[in-house]
Amino acid sequence: MSPTGDNPPGLALAPGVPHIVSRRVPAILLAAALFATACGSNAVPAAESVKAAGSGPVTISFADYNLATAGLGADGTNAMIQDFEKANPDIKIDPVGITATEILPKVQAMVVAGNAPDVAQEGFGDLDYVVNDLRAQPLDTIAGAQGLQAALSAMYPPVAKLGQLNGKTYGLPYTLSTPILFYNASLFQQAGLDPTQPPSTWAQVKQDALAIHSKAGASGVYIDCAYYFDWCWQGIVLSNGGRVLSQDRKTLEFGDPPAVQAAAMWQDLVKSGAHPPLSENDAIAAFEGGKLGMLLETSALQASLLTAAAKGGWDLRAAPMPAFPGHPVVPTNSGSALFILSGNPQKQQAAWRFLQFMTSEQAYTIITEQIGYLPLRPDVVADPNYLQPWIAQHPLMQPNLQQLQRLQPWVSFPGPNYVQIKNIELAALQQVVFGGADPAGTLGAAQKRAQALMP
Amino acid sequence: MSAIASEEATLVAVPRARRRLGAAGLRPYLYILPVVASLGFWIYWPLLRTFFLGFYTWNLLPTTPRVWVGLGNYARVVGLQEMGIALRNTLIYVVGMLPLSVALPLGIALLTQNLGARARGVYRALIFMPMLMAPVVVATIWDWMLDPTGGLVDSLLHAVFGLGPVYWLNSQTWAIWVITAIAGWKVVGFAVLIFAAALTGVSREYLEAAAVDGAAAWQRTWHIVVPLILPSILLVVMLTVLLSAQWTFPLINVMTQGGPVNATTNIYFELWQFGFQSYNVGWASAAAVLLFLGFGVIAWGFTALMNRVAYRDS
Repeated sequence: MSPTGDNPPGLALAPGVPHIVSRRVPAILLAAALFATACGSNAVPAAESVKAAGSGPVTISFADYNLATAGLGADGTNAMIQDFEKANPDIKIDPVGITATEILPKVQAMVVAGNAPDVAQEGFGDLDYVVNDLRAQPLDTIAGAQGLQAALSAMYPPVAKLGQLNGKTYGLPYTLSTPILFYNASLFQQAGLDPTQPPSTWAQVKQDALAIHSKAGASGVYIDCAYYFDWCWQGIVLSNGGRVLSQDRKTLEFGDPPAVQAAAMWQDLVKSGAHPPLSENDAIAAFEGGKLGMLLETSALQASLLTAAAKGGWDLRAAPMPAFPGHPVVPTNSGSALFILSGNPQKQQAAWRFLQFMTSEQAYTIITEQIGYLPLRPDVVADPNYLQPWIAQHPLMQPNLQQLQRLQPWVSFPGPNYVQIKNIELAALQQVVFGGADPAGTLGAAQKRAQALMP
Repeated sequence: MSAIASEEATLVAVPRARRRLGAAGLRPYLYILPVVASLGFWIYWPLLRTFFLGFYTWNLLPTTPRVWVGLGNYARVVGLQEMGIALRNTLIYVVGMLPLSVALPLGIALLTQNLGARARGVYRALIFMPMLMAPVVVATIWDWMLDPTGGLVDSLLHAVFGLGPVYWLNSQTWAIWVITAIAGWKVVGFAVLIFAAALTGVSREYLEAAAVDGAAAWQRTWHIVVPLILPSILLVVMLTVLLSAQWTFPLINVMTQGGPVNATTNIYFELWQFGFQSYNVGWASAAAVLLFLGFGVIAWGFTALMNRVAYRDS
């Protein structure tokens, strides 16, 4: 049953029946064909390896979400794929673009249909599931311990560990950001604030936001951490000395005092009028339109924010995450790693070459300049042939680069109900922040309900 | 002549009776086989699978084992707070949609039936238009119009009434009514079409006779027209009750994702989330079975009611 609702109501009356009646004979042929494929689906992996053994270029299917973002993300990724194919004529890449919120369900559907992509870009929040259920292949085995070590040691140390689970590396970290406080320096000036002194604590954020709200006639600050993914909420909780999941991955802690205090701070921003009760999309649109002072956001949006600022004639700047009193700021990472799903040794080797290229100096030059994600390698940042000149011209990148070097991983929830757990967590957070609910009671109750869904 | 004919008939009849057991006897069944087979394949086989999967924990992956949990999924689904909220919201959607899918279209159909043919055609085509637009496109356009900072609706509210921004889709109070209104707006044309068709079936003679007897226009409408098209009205009411959750689904998916804080989620959206966002086909199937039984009872009740009403009419 798929309640897409796309059918006109008349056709939906008895679901499916009118379609079938009108198709008659073709329908039965189709049914027979589908039945045959359904029966044969178990045999697909075996057949695949035989086919790939033939000569000619190996084709690697590649599911990627940057390809599905219109404009900059797609152009940059396609350019990288073309460069790779030029340098590796024996490998063809077959790219599939799927949006970030859909990439796990779609890849899961492809796996169910016996049509798994050979390489998939998946979020760190799904790491546990991608490893244990989608059966991502350990890179230690494919690349060999030395080969993998060589690839990971080129990256910043905190990043190199992000694709690990239970002592093995399954994902090669690819595109990610830390939470960045983007701000509109023009609005700061209009509000009589010093744009060279962005707020560094949440108390200052509130003060500045209220000043912008009252003097510049715009909204103050928006924290885009309450929808879809909890990576940046995890960063806020960590920065207040807490966690959302215990170190041993057994107990949920998003209802404990550090998280509750953080949510109460955020709720106070909304109640005081410093933080508009907008949805995520409306907030981004408001910031791009020059009607919002500050936005805590992933740098994946950096390129489009720069474009909007240039168009609207305002000055876009960036600052690190604000701090809670008495605690160091602990940034988390957003983003994704590249996983090899193919079980075919020949394809695995081709895929590993592709992964190495996609995390090369050449690739990160494109990823950082054109999309806005972080360069994960220190060498590319310092190299005058690659990113060094660009980064010198774009101070916007500095807070992100600094946070990159001391980030703590975005943790994924364990078990088959991990998405439900994340949904309960974020719904409770929204209830507190936007619905004005009691922080301790609401988050505590949610934690209790979600704990029952843990494995 | 007649004797010969009847003799011929018996001569022919004997082999035909024998042949009935052979290929020709199968022919009618062959004719309906495609329909029966595709119904079986597309409707009843998935239905059986749904009942079956409701007893397992599984994420559909061939590499993951299916684990038998008996009625565990049913217990979980019934106990989930989100399901309770989704059921309540579904009820709000149904009740909120009824005026838009029944009362308003009925009024439009009645008021436009006496217009000239061309004017009536143009008028109804205009009303039918929203029905033809893809729901996702509609959702996106309304999303733009309802943007609280600079969207069309809020700009108008501000310019005309001086009202501050209303956070339509991020408000736990407004969001569900916004979705209801858009879904209703989309379905008005369809309902008008059904009522207009029903009205053409009402014989002029009844109305003329009533007019001769001195019945006023509203009396003719209320006592003659409405009872005569009651089966159609009940049909639209039934469609609204059964399908409101489906009609609102694409709007919820595009505009609010069930939020803020589950304020706009409905039973189908929740079910879809279990199945295709949480990869928990067991929960989704258990919820689907409960839904199937619940809506089945409602549909059965409506059908029984419609049959009684239709009987009185004839």
